[in-house]
Amino acid sequence: MDYNSHERAERLIAQARVEGITPEERVWLDRHTEECARCAGLTDATERALRSLRSVTVRVDPELVKRTQLLVRFRANQLEGERTEMLPVWVCCALSWILGLATAKPVWRGFEWLGQHAGVPNLVWQASFAGWLLLPTIVAAAVLALRRPESGRARL
Amino acid sequence: MELETQSLARGLRRRDPELLDHLIGQYQFRLFRYLLYLSGRREVAEELFQETWIRVLERGYQYDGKTKFEAWLFAIARHLVIDMLRRRKSPADSPASLDDLLDPGKGKRVFEPPNPESAALIDLLAAEEESEHVRSALACLPAAYREVLMLRFQEDMQLEEIAAVTGAPLSTVKSRLYRGLADLRQQLEKDHGL
Repeated sequence: MDYNSHERAERLIAQARVEGITPEERVWLDRHTEECARCAGLTDATERALRSLRSVTVRVDPELVKRTQLLVRFRANQLEGERTEMLPVWVCCALSWILGLATAKPVWRGFEWLGQHAGVPNLVWQASFAGWLLLPTIVAAAVLALRRPESGRARL
Repeated sequence: MELETQSLARGLRRRDPELLDHLIGQYQFRLFRYLLYLSGRREVAEELFQETWIRVLERGYQYDGKTKFEAWLFAIARHLVIDMLRRRKSPADSPASLDDLLDPGKGKRVFEPPNPESAALIDLLAAEEESEHVRSALACLPAAYREVLMLRFQEDMQLEEIAAVTGAPLSTVKSRLYRGLADLRQQLEKDHGL
């Protein structure tokens, strides 16, 4: 038996456990380990290592599980509360946007008329119009920014 | 399986508290074991166990039900472990990944070797002698190896699933498994004559 066959056997022993080997490779490996005490020992050692690894037990504190379930429920209520609280803000935003879009044409004309009468450059009244349209978003962003420091994660 | 995961995904999107209670109970052992293997400390694993479920609640809408739930769960837990370890390290040597954090060649190992005088550490595992031996051997392995060994041989995950959890290429997962398995075998033989 040459060095290469031991090396191949060693590789196949690990490969069989990690990603699998073909039936032909299995036959070759079985035949080799029958004849080679060193590789048979390696197979046993690998099997024992994996059996030991699978036998490891970890104790989970039942209190930890209960605490976590409570914490998750508490946080779920918090999130639901936040969602409910924010609902009026989003409804107002949506209504403002709908109203803004529906009245965009006359408001545009209004800004244009005001701009021409006040003698300001076109860019100024156009920017003012854009600001008017963006106002609901700005208000909503401000509300969210003010709320953020208050909302925190629950701890038990 | 897909039907099951799809209904799980719908429940998570609804933030169904009953479902979450059930999942916490169902995955308690597997998630805690994974966190313990990665972090190496019971108190850290307990903290991250809670954090993981809070994250599941908050990000439940991101689970699409196309993959196994446990793969998604472990990926969340893994990110939290990395975040936590990053926070605990100084910004100057801020590492980029779990491997950088836990490479034994680069600094202090995170997984603490068992101390027979510490009741808390003994509690980590059941009192079986073999568990102690394995734990001791695992303590000597880099966390990146421990992680893939645990996912492959305890969770029975496919290599592709492990790659998805760890965010590593398939070839990296395989090489970690081969090296981890060889190292574990050697450690067990050397330390305890198994």
